[in-house]
Amino acid sequence: MSFSEIFVQAPSAVHWLILSSLLFSIGIYGILTRRNAVGILMSTELLLNSASLNFVVFNKFVAPSSVDGQVMSLFVIAVAAAEVVVGMAIFVALFKCRKTVDVTQMNLMRN
Amino acid sequence: MTTTVLTALFYVLAACSVLLALAVVTTRRILRAAVYLMGVLLMSAGFFLLLGAEFLAGVQILVYVGGIVVLLVFAVMLTRSVELLEDEPSIGRKLLGYVVAAGFLIMNVALLATTEFRVLREGTLPAGNTAALGRKLLDYGPQGYALPFEVLSILLLTAMIGGIVIARKTGPVATGKLEQPGQGGSDRFGAQTTTIQGS
Repeated sequence: MSFSEIFVQAPSAVHWLILSSLLFSIGIYGILTRRNAVGILMSTELLLNSASLNFVVFNKFVAPSSVDGQVMSLFVIAVAAAEVVVGMAIFVALFKCRKTVDVTQMNLMRN
Repeated sequence: MTTTVLTALFYVLAACSVLLALAVVTTRRILRAAVYLMGVLLMSAGFFLLLGAEFLAGVQILVYVGGIVVLLVFAVMLTRSVELLEDEPSIGRKLLGYVVAAGFLIMNVALLATTEFRVLREGTLPAGNTAALGRKLLDYGPQGYALPFEVLSILLLTAMIGGIVIARKTGPVATGKLEQPGQGGSDRFGAQTTTIQGS
């Protein structure tokens, strides 16, 4: 298969899955390197988003007669909304008492 | 012809999405990261459209772009991270991030290259699958998702209450100043504070 043929044929399941694993690993990089807690929350959103993309891809390419994957994806979106609400509340409360949301300074339980 | 256009669209959207995601994790200004994240989520809505999930694309824009990104921007503002320029991560953290992310990606791509995805249930996705999605969500048979759906609504309620309780202004209880009970309109509130203090 030549290079140009790959780009003309319709994207298969593997193309989609490689895309979502790319997004997932970018999210992992963000979680490990961000210092601001809100930035970590954003990276988590990237992870959840790529996971829900995966569900829809498998729905289309593995079980196209049903919509179970889309239902799961809907659930992922709802859980992500709940997670962001609680995360934001925690960070705001944390900022009120510590005056920072830098995760490298959150070592209260270390010593 | 249509396939070619859709394929081209897939690659364009994928490239934009990956570049924007990279910008989200590497930019030093956190508010810009939120805007880039919005771009990534919009691209994802485009992916859902390409995959034939119109309802999900709509939900993605409504909930993610309209709700979650706005909440994140609120979080950025309330924690005063706007004027803060985040430091570059230390070389050790960066290296750790590279190694873990690249390791995950290589492992995943190797697995995907050796796996063949067979179609388990034949058939085509119904053209307007929003109706099928709705029926699935409210079906309480063995194939339905009525119970998870209800549990999810309780989860959202719990998250809302939890968010309010955690982030609310520190009341008179925490500052040690007791509100005088029996002062006209604030009677009920005063009674409430005493109960909380008693427990």
